[in-house]
Amino acid sequence: MPLTAESAAQQIQDRLKDIQQQIHIVDEERRRAENSISTLVRSLQTNNAKVKPLLKASMLETSQEEATIRAALAKIHEIRSIRNERRIQARNAGNKEAIRRGALMKMVQLSAQTLPLFVSKPGERAPALCGAIPAEGNYVAKVGDNVAALAKGIDEEENWILAEVVQFLHRQNKYDVIDIDEEQKDRHVLSKRKVIPLPLMRANPETDGHALFPKDTVVMALYPQTTCFYKAIVHRLPATATEEYDVLFEDSSYMNGYAEPLPVAQRYVIAYRPTKKGAGSGSGNLSSA
Amino acid sequence: MSGGPSVTLKSQPIDGSNSGNAAAQQQQQSANGAASSANQGQGGNTNGSAGVSGGAPAQEGTRQNSLQRIQQRKQKVFNLPLPQKVAKLSMYSACQAEGCRCTGWKTPQENRHRDVESSYCPEFNEECRNSSCRHSLRTHIAHLDNITSSSMDELLGAIIDMENLFMSMQRVEDEDTKKVYLYLFRLLRQCVLTRQQAVIRGPLGDPPFESPCITKAVLSLVFYKYQHLNPTELQTMTEVAKTFLNFLNHYNFESPSTRRGELAHEDASNYKINYTRWLVFCHVPAFCNSLRQFETSLVFGRTLLRTVFQYMSQQLKKKCISERDRFPEDKRSIITQMPKFLEALRAELLKDDSPIWDPNYRPPNSFVIQQRKRNQEAAAPPAPGGGAAAIGSNKRSSVGEPLHKRPKKETLERPISENLDDLPTDVVMRAMKSVSESKTTNKSEILFPVNVSRDENVKAEEQKRAIEFHVVGNSLTKPVDKQTILWLFGLQLVFAYQLPEMPREYISQLVFDTKHKTLALIKESQPIGGICFRPFPSQGFTEIVFCAVTMAEQVKGYGTHLMNHLKDYSIQRGIKHLLTFADCDAIGYFKKQGFSKDIKLARPVYAGYIKEYDSATLMHCELHPTIVNTQFIAVIRNQSEILKELIAQRHNEVQKVRAGLTCFKEGVRSIPVESIPGLMEIGWKPQMRPARSARPLEESSDPEKLATSFASVLQSVRQHTTAWPFLRPVTAAEVPDYYDHIKYPMDLKTMGERLKKGYYQTRRLFMADMARIFSNCRFYNSPETEYYRCANSLERYFQTKMRELGLWDK
Repeated sequence: MPLTAESAAQQIQDRLKDIQQQIHIVDEERRRAENSISTLVRSLQTNNAKVKPLLKASMLETSQEEATIRAALAKIHEIRSIRNERRIQARNAGNKEAIRRGALMKMVQLSAQTLPLFVSKPGERAPALCGAIPAEGNYVAKVGDNVAALAKGIDEEENWILAEVVQFLHRQNKYDVIDIDEEQKDRHVLSKRKVIPLPLMRANPETDGHALFPKDTVVMALYPQTTCFYKAIVHRLPATATEEYDVLFEDSSYMNGYAEPLPVAQRYVIAYRPTKKGAGSGSGNLSSA
Repeated sequence: MSGGPSVTLKSQPIDGSNSGNAAAQQQQQSANGAASSANQGQGGNTNGSAGVSGGAPAQEGTRQNSLQRIQQRKQKVFNLPLPQKVAKLSMYSACQAEGCRCTGWKTPQENRHRDVESSYCPEFNEECRNSSCRHSLRTHIAHLDNITSSSMDELLGAIIDMENLFMSMQRVEDEDTKKVYLYLFRLLRQCVLTRQQAVIRGPLGDPPFESPCITKAVLSLVFYKYQHLNPTELQTMTEVAKTFLNFLNHYNFESPSTRRGELAHEDASNYKINYTRWLVFCHVPAFCNSLRQFETSLVFGRTLLRTVFQYMSQQLKKKCISERDRFPEDKRSIITQMPKFLEALRAELLKDDSPIWDPNYRPPNSFVIQQRKRNQEAAAPPAPGGGAAAIGSNKRSSVGEPLHKRPKKETLERPISENLDDLPTDVVMRAMKSVSESKTTNKSEILFPVNVSRDENVKAEEQKRAIEFHVVGNSLTKPVDKQTILWLFGLQLVFAYQLPEMPREYISQLVFDTKHKTLALIKESQPIGGICFRPFPSQGFTEIVFCAVTMAEQVKGYGTHLMNHLKDYSIQRGIKHLLTFADCDAIGYFKKQGFSKDIKLARPVYAGYIKEYDSATLMHCELHPTIVNTQFIAVIRNQSEILKELIAQRHNEVQKVRAGLTCFKEGVRSIPVESIPGLMEIGWKPQMRPARSARPLEESSDPEKLATSFASVLQSVRQHTTAWPFLRPVTAAEVPDYYDHIKYPMDLKTMGERLKKGYYQTRRLFMADMARIFSNCRFYNSPETEYYRCANSLERYFQTKMRELGLWDK
């Protein structure tokens, strides 16, 4: 079914309203939960016998709060899918809006900041394509998903670029991708091993630290304000869901061979994959790829 | 003034046989005293609001008296019994007898001392004294049979003006002035003879002669210099400005011969041209109202004012001092402020790049509207200062003159002074409001981020103090604080990393050079970008040496905003040019910032000052002193949005489907644009200036030249033997059903009027009207009629004439 701009806007508007309501609910629930917890703490101090029901009530309230937050997160996810779908349709319809570089970079940043957040339940492991967790071997990225693609530019030099999947050609086992940067040669057909799907979810550092790259890992990261991935070393991990990695990019113009730390969002930090060119440059054994 | 001399002029100007009538002489002297510029600094008359009483009362009195006397004489002539009026007219009307070339009936010898303006009335069968004519008076007036009384009065008025001009011509000594009077005299004579409106054509050009006009520039000056004052003071300055303009409009310019010594050759010839224009279009018409009058301050611009300003301002100052005591208490401030105002005006007059003389300069709408409102308010109550003040510049025509006489003049009074086609403020306000409302409820933003302007985010950051801009530089004479040194180090690093081609030592050398400064962009107390530059105040330009933003902060609009800050910084220091040698990667950036490879500065200005680089391109950006560059993008965007909104609103208002035109089916080939229903309603106006898109190959780009060509074609066509059916509009009296069939009548007289009004801006318009004459004729008349044949033959003649002038297509 075609998704017109109007209906997309309407659907998004509806979801934004839902989210707003949910935020108010969460606010209420949290206040109530905090009350219960302080009651619980007090009764623990007074060694009262009625701890167990209080505890149960608190847990119930907490899981309710959690459910509401998750529902809100799901709504955000929905908004992203609607926008994505609308964008793909607009592109297929041929109305390629001329977007200025500055606005493009802003979009690249925004889509990383609004990447769905994964918060594991106790004992749950982060799934594939959440944070640093790579995709399964046979995974095929969906249409419209962003990937890092090793593509030849106008100057015939291969670079890991930020691209979007147009389609997967099953017979040839190749991806058809489009360069995010419209100023470049736009279409590339690349074999599967030259395409790395980007994370579909952010890992929550507070609950899922295992889904982040450890410090000093050699990674590929999108250089800020560009659409290319370069080799870098993780310098500092994000401490909260909204924070970014600090990474050290390789840069021969600096004395120690690495530039000053620069912030890169989780979405644009992926496992290092040596290329012919990069293989010779003596990558560290820390590579987790 | 009722006791003025009875006017009995009866000179026969053509053969110069002045009767020497004493009363006429007296009359003429006073008329002359006024018309021949009197060589006295009169003027400064009030226009009703400023309340400045005019020149010294004696002089002013003379002027007013002469004007009044002329009016009274005209009125008297208008009130004469009809036969006397006709007799008067006959003296200037060509004999209608076949083959007679007499141009006016001459009184028989025995009656030469008698005056038709008093009691004398010749018989209609009396013969003309002219020996080659000898026809009766009646034959001289045969063509005037069905003339309306108003057009008769118009002709009589012109005759009186003509007689006055002749007398003035006799008296005036200056040769240049004399020539002009003679020219105008002949023109009026011709007009009376041909019964046409007097129109001045020729090398003098048409008013307005310069843009912006003095009035506009002076009002701009008030805004430019005094907008910061409180309303009362601003009001005073406005009145000072008006007093000045009024003085100018009544100022008697010195003849070019008296000024020959003091003006440089080129100025002198310019002044001569302008003086002649002033005489023809402003001065003489004040006394001869059959000529179209223009206000000096509305048709002249800077060139004229420059040549006369010094002497004129001296006169005005003198007058201010001498009139001081006559001024009402509350208007004294005008006198005290005058020298200050004159000084300011003088300064702007001498500056070559003064904004007030920039044709594009405009005080904001609100200011103009406010001024206009004040004008209206001020005009409403009776002007203070008694009777003298009541005769304001734009009320001159109402003194004892029939109103119907000058229907055109009302529209000509202020042809260019104010932008009357401006939209009302409330419409603009409404559009602005709805623009700001739509911004908050922008639906498209929900889907995709809006394409915000390049510098919008940066400006928001600057507002939040997340980033700061500082101009820093090293010094050897003054202590440099630690912060500056740290920033300079940081900037040096930024340049070194971003400009790997530049040797590091070279970067350090320039960044720490005391003649160089760097505009630093500081984020989180670290410099993340900057522009290193060197101002050359003596040369009026600034050289941009390095310009870079650190890699990770690029494409965020910092570069644009940095450059805008540098531009504003330069403008504040009076520097109007930026120059830089851009390497090939930087050319794109500089182009976006308004730089061009086209260097508008003369090489000696910068050669030897700027550091030249091999394999780099010199680029130049000229700065406009009134633009605030850091606000520029936002302002332009806002304007464009408001404009779009205004268009949308107007679109809603006028949207209407009309029945199509049917006249083409009826065989009409073309129709005038303004006759298309609805066009006028949506604000279309006949173009008064050549359309920008006029194809230069096809249309003469010079409207004046075009008008001259059309005039000659029209003249030839009119004189053609088959032109007689088309000379004047068909009247319903002659042909009762004509207008039932012909919806868009056209005739040669109407075309002549349109030509005078400047309607024929393109060849097409002219040809279309002509074609309509013929198509109407062929439509209404059957092919075997004489009319039909006339149309065919005149059409061929017209085409031949057009071809001769290269104005025909094939």
